[in-house]
Amino acid sequence: MTTLLAFINNRAVRDAFWQAVVAISVAGLLVYFVRNASDNMVKAGIASGFDFLGRTSGIDVPFVLTGYVPQSSIAALLWVGVVNTMLVAAVSIVLATILGFFIGLARLSSNWLLSTLAGAYVEFVRNIPLLFFVLFWYSVVIGALPQPRESLSIFSIAFLNNRGLTIPVATDGTALRWAALVAVLSLLLQVALALYAARRRRLTGRSLPIGSIALVTALLIPLAAFGIAAAQTPWEIPALRGFNYRGGFVLVPEFVALLGSLATYTAGFIAEVVRGGIQAVPKGQIEAARALGLSSGQTLRLVTVPLALRVVIPPLTSQYLNVLKNSSFGAAIAYPEIVSLFMGSALNATGQAIEIIAITLAIYLGMGLLVSLFMAWFNARMTLVTR
Amino acid sequence: MQKIVIGCAALAAGLLASAGAFAQQLAPSPTLDAVKARGAIECGVHLGLPGFSFANDKGEWTGLDVDYCRALAAAVLGDASKVKFTPTSVQQRWPVLQSGQVDLLARNTTITFSRNATLGVNFQGINFYEGQTFIVRTKTNAKSAKDLDGATVCVAAGSTEEKNAADWFAERNLKVTIVNFQKNDDAIAAYDSGRCDAYTAGIGALAGQRIKLKVPDEHVILSDLISNDPQGPVTRWGDERWQLIVRWVLNGMIAAENLGVTSKNVDEMKANSKSAEVRRLLGTEGGFGAMLGLSNDWMYNVIKQVGNYSESYERTVGMGSPLKLKRGANELWTKGGLLFTPPFQ
Repeated sequence: MTTLLAFINNRAVRDAFWQAVVAISVAGLLVYFVRNASDNMVKAGIASGFDFLGRTSGIDVPFVLTGYVPQSSIAALLWVGVVNTMLVAAVSIVLATILGFFIGLARLSSNWLLSTLAGAYVEFVRNIPLLFFVLFWYSVVIGALPQPRESLSIFSIAFLNNRGLTIPVATDGTALRWAALVAVLSLLLQVALALYAARRRRLTGRSLPIGSIALVTALLIPLAAFGIAAAQTPWEIPALRGFNYRGGFVLVPEFVALLGSLATYTAGFIAEVVRGGIQAVPKGQIEAARALGLSSGQTLRLVTVPLALRVVIPPLTSQYLNVLKNSSFGAAIAYPEIVSLFMGSALNATGQAIEIIAITLAIYLGMGLLVSLFMAWFNARMTLVTR
Repeated sequence: MQKIVIGCAALAAGLLASAGAFAQQLAPSPTLDAVKARGAIECGVHLGLPGFSFANDKGEWTGLDVDYCRALAAAVLGDASKVKFTPTSVQQRWPVLQSGQVDLLARNTTITFSRNATLGVNFQGINFYEGQTFIVRTKTNAKSAKDLDGATVCVAAGSTEEKNAADWFAERNLKVTIVNFQKNDDAIAAYDSGRCDAYTAGIGALAGQRIKLKVPDEHVILSDLISNDPQGPVTRWGDERWQLIVRWVLNGMIAAENLGVTSKNVDEMKANSKSAEVRRLLGTEGGFGAMLGLSNDWMYNVIKQVGNYSESYERTVGMGSPLKLKRGANELWTKGGLLFTPPFQ
């Protein structure tokens, strides 16, 4: 009896019990709703289940990186949407971070004009709805670019018009793959050299001219490799026939418009995050750095930024997640991402709203968790590097 | 013995009572009851397509589909103005109908096998025979859909046109780029801004949308049709009596045209017509309205307040409208068209 009482009164047991109760109720509720929905749908004559994923999609997509054709399955269509979402989100995140970082620094600049301009940009961007941004960028991109017959020619191999940027594609990629291998090896060499240089400096106090070496290993060697490979590769050059250029790969204007709007919009928010991070660095640290004789550039690079990063990373993560979710605004301008392709075209072709919305939710959740995980890892790494 | 007599009498009384009940009671129709209680029909229409369903700047709806909703209100409630219009996008229309937010769709919706089989919806006849084609700029010199090889085509995502176009060009080994917009209006705006060489939709819809372009005269609608898209009112599964009402109001408008009953002569026809079918249609004979749970002058109200099919067609998309569409396939079967109605017998 006393053992039983002790067991019941054990805190760990009680915690586990209540957690199990909550978990079972949530799961039960979920099962109830799913079964209820599927029963009602059967009664109303609405098809349900996931068989539709294997059906032929029959939908033509203007921007495909996966080898999808209209004869592919709806699952393949979904994958096109996922890839296009990830592509635009990833490039936007990189651009927004770079842009936001510089705007944030500019806002702290002692130059009145620069800091005022940066401040005005941030206030402007933060007080305007993103949809407006997306539509504005789209109309600018479409309106500013010429019709196919008046295309801007870039060295007569790439052509820019309001149908997009048409670039040549390699019909045989063997040489390019070798070049990529050489470039990766060269970059690895640079990483190894940098590690060696850092160790040597710690031990002997002497430094290697690692910047000049990087110029060769990270820039010259890869460039030369790709240059030679490009000359060896047979290319399909776009040519104007009929309505538009044929052949090559087309980077659609919707991509550019969405990228532009996401990057410039998010940059405004990231600028504020960066500014907050830098202002959070204790003044004494900067004064100490200056007292040691570091130049203002060195202070920024070696003291301010590393300290600021720790403050910046957590809010930066939510901005990155926002970019990922905001990429769904692509649906407003026909950029073929998940919402547009899967929740638009596929949902209407099949009418299976519940399944399609559930899949889309799960995919956004999965991608968001991946971003969070990566940023959590990065955050942990940044806080650990203290001596 | 007495027990048997009483038993027989009770049985007979029960049979009589139940027979009486059968004679007077109709199959339950929750939708009709809801419409009557609400005092208005909830009709799902297009977001804005001149000629079919379009609200002017005063919020007054006009169009062929709108007229059909009005006719249904006249038949069910005796007043054609008792309609609440719910504008729906290509994507919204099915959930809005399935969830019961609207009583029916009259929304340029093409009848297809898979929609009928998997969406839990039924199509109640055809009020417009649509065929898909393209609108292009006059200066491109495209004369037929085959000339569009290499073109970029704007289309509304999730429409039948999206798949039709992909199929049609693929079958002919023609390479086109299809750009899918979420709304018809976004697609046509992108076409107008030069993003696409062509916009594809039904020929009737294109006639309506051409008016909305910046310079309508610079655009031409190709005459060759790449598909056959019959369109009509849509109801959800269940409630057969409501489905019958939706179907037979449309049939009634077509029958009225065939029988020569118009909004102008309907009073005179109701009083004097010697044709039994006219009398049945207008409710002076046969008691057809009551069979559906409506008043017997249901079709009289429709024709008096909205008109027959021809009157509605000419006013909204035909010669009396800016669209100026000929009757074509939408002519009566007796005059070389496809419109047909089973007899009112």
